[in-house]
Amino acid sequence: MTEKILEAKNISKAYVGVQALDSVNMDIRKGEIHCLVGENGSGKSTLIKIVAGVVKQDTGEIILNGHPYTYLHAIDSIRQGVQIIYQDLSLFPNLTVAENISLNQEIERSSKTINWNDIRSIAEKALSEIGEQLDLDEKVENISVASKQLVAISRALTQNARLIIMDEPTSSLTRDEITHLFSVITGLKTRDISTLFVSHKLSEVFEISERVSILRDGKMVGTYKTEELDNDRLIFLMTGKKIEATLYTFDEKSTKKTPLLEVLHLSKSRNFKDISFSLRKGEILGITGLLGSGRTELALALFGMYPADSGEIRIEGTPISIKSIPDAIKAGIGYLPEDRLNQGLFIEQTISTNIIVTILKKLLNRFRMVSKVKRKELVNKWVDELAIKTPSVEATAQSLSGGNQQRLVLAKWLATDPKVFIFDGPTIGVDIASKSTIHKIIRDLAESGMGIIIISDEIPEVLQNSNRVLIMYRGKIIEEITDVTSVTEDKLFSIMSGKDVNEAV
Amino acid sequence: MRLFEQIRQYNYKRALKYNETYLFFVLIVFGAGITIINPTFLSPENTFDLINSSAGTAILAIGVFLVLMSGGIDVSFTAIAISGQYIAVNVLTAAHVDNLAFAFLVSCSVGIALGAVNASLISLFKLPTLITTLGTLSMFHGGLLAFVGTKAFNTGDLPNCFKAFGQASLFTLTRPDGSMYGLSVYALILLVILIASWLILRYTMLGRGIVAIGGNREAAERAGFDIVRIQYFIYCFVGFLAGIMGIMHVSLLRYSNPNYIVGDELNVIAAVVLGGARITGGSGSLLGTMLGVAMIVILEKNLVLIGLSSYWHQFFIGLIIIVGVSITYYQNLRRTNQRVVFVKE
Repeated sequence: MTEKILEAKNISKAYVGVQALDSVNMDIRKGEIHCLVGENGSGKSTLIKIVAGVVKQDTGEIILNGHPYTYLHAIDSIRQGVQIIYQDLSLFPNLTVAENISLNQEIERSSKTINWNDIRSIAEKALSEIGEQLDLDEKVENISVASKQLVAISRALTQNARLIIMDEPTSSLTRDEITHLFSVITGLKTRDISTLFVSHKLSEVFEISERVSILRDGKMVGTYKTEELDNDRLIFLMTGKKIEATLYTFDEKSTKKTPLLEVLHLSKSRNFKDISFSLRKGEILGITGLLGSGRTELALALFGMYPADSGEIRIEGTPISIKSIPDAIKAGIGYLPEDRLNQGLFIEQTISTNIIVTILKKLLNRFRMVSKVKRKELVNKWVDELAIKTPSVEATAQSLSGGNQQRLVLAKWLATDPKVFIFDGPTIGVDIASKSTIHKIIRDLAESGMGIIIISDEIPEVLQNSNRVLIMYRGKIIEEITDVTSVTEDKLFSIMSGKDVNEAV
Repeated sequence: MRLFEQIRQYNYKRALKYNETYLFFVLIVFGAGITIINPTFLSPENTFDLINSSAGTAILAIGVFLVLMSGGIDVSFTAIAISGQYIAVNVLTAAHVDNLAFAFLVSCSVGIALGAVNASLISLFKLPTLITTLGTLSMFHGGLLAFVGTKAFNTGDLPNCFKAFGQASLFTLTRPDGSMYGLSVYALILLVILIASWLILRYTMLGRGIVAIGGNREAAERAGFDIVRIQYFIYCFVGFLAGIMGIMHVSLLRYSNPNYIVGDELNVIAAVVLGGARITGGSGSLLGTMLGVAMIVILEKNLVLIGLSSYWHQFFIGLIIIVGVSITYYQNLRRTNQRVVFVKE
């Protein structure tokens, strides 16, 4: 039998009124790459925190390297070699690479003074263990996210890690960087270090893991060998539902020939160059590209947040100038941001305030005050229409779950009656069930005559929900796909990464 | 010597990324300009005089720099300095003690105690540093005037130890007319404090903790730094430095007025910001801070020379703070936008 580094036995944990974990069992073998998947709120992070000794379980025990713990202290967890790399990486931007890697060990040693030669040699050693080279004297704020991740992994290694838990490590990495990270993880495996990879990107789960543990509503659905699963089966196990995938079809003849939105030679220095495309009523246009390809910047230019330098934008054939967000709203352009928490909502305000904030003027009564009646009508209309799950429209926006927050931002913009709506990463951080609801909403909007642009780097999402796809690379549109059934995901991926591009372009 | 070694080790490209490099050149150009108008500017006498009169500001600046590094800000240090000074003068006069060491002891104790008040409010009650120290600035100064007194001490009323200290020189030079001038012991005190602070910041876990908190407070907590302890150190250290400055100030001026020093906060903060310390914490250097102080002091002393009234000084101080903060903001903005910068022009 293979030796186990971690065994969780009958772990239960309840928070006020909520059973976060219910008799969960899981084990991780030495040198294994194990994935933990589950939807938001399925109990993944609670389980990680219990393994780290940060949260105490109500019942059950954690066995680390054969030592059983009914009460696991954080320090014991670390001593047994458990290291967690949080999503935010917990690095110091203002310190050098070397110091970021070595500082924890220096603190562990409880030394009062710093020996800079030690700092460097510890860092060098840790980096060489994963076969990486970084400029030790560069400040962490100046290195890429991928390099930061390597710094965090190296730091974990300085603490004699036997099990590295990575919480959603790939969320801000490009495809190439993910491949690289995976090779590092595979490298750790040869040194008998186990990795618990927490993710909700299913394609990555299949790519990297040997076994998958699936949590749903605080219960362990089971642990499976990765090769025994396929995508549909895994989704079914995670959600308990069968989610059907159908393609979006756009009937060309059904609408006017004049495009709803026309973009001609739009450029913004250092962001994108010579972008031209058009969008008709009822169309869903997918725009994809790597992080930094200019896709989001293009959307922000159309929405007036960072206006373009040159080029023309036409709405229903009329040239318009978009220099600010109010310009864009007036022209009938709506935008759902990628980072919905930061850009989309007044998180501490109520749901109803959030919905009406973009259209206050329309709600004024003859005394120039916001009419309560109109307000209520409108708020209820959108809460119903988008099926926002909330006990009251006077609850704060932050009390909503991720998917519902997304719908709320949507409600806020739909209230402005847009003609063109841009969805930027509409389902980032949203669980699979909500994802399909959001996709359904997007399609309904298109069918009702709106022109939709979906910006996303999740290729399946783009292919499934658009009738046309533009691919951006280094600020330019390098390919237009008019028949989405004609390309495979892999093909799209390689175009996106610039591999099929003649560098002379 | 390590500092110089380090400076030599910087490669050219990296040096250009440092604010200090620019500041150094600006200072040279500025100095050269003044020397053209006033050839005595670079004379040893004028240089000594500059060091003598700016040592106090420089010491306060070191304190402010440490606070900024940790991601906080302290504006109450002037009130602490004058409290230390005025209480020490009162105690010495009342007790008829004429001992400089005792004066420092009283002043620094007051400084540390008041610093601890700041630290308690900030670390235990987790109040925002700017508002807290704005409050304590007023409290400390008001308390001083209400409880200790408002009477100014003239030269004749001051214990002799102050006057002797203010005139003590490390060495002296002779002017052509035979009279003497020298480099004040203040230079040595500043140097000692500067080196000590640098050593703490660079070579102790405590110092790295200060830098780490300024960079990412949550990560510092997770890494196991004792944030409360570190904050106590920072604010008490600022109080201690303010206590030292208080005594240096009265000794140089030979006059103690409980309304002095307070009001100079922005001067010092401007010097630190000009020296490249990021107002949001975690970034900056002591070298830069010293260059910033030099810049501010030279500006203050030579405005009249350029034909501007001294009111302009106040104007420039404000301008420097606004520009300094804008640069930090702009740099942050660029950093967050950096991921989108890729199209080769």
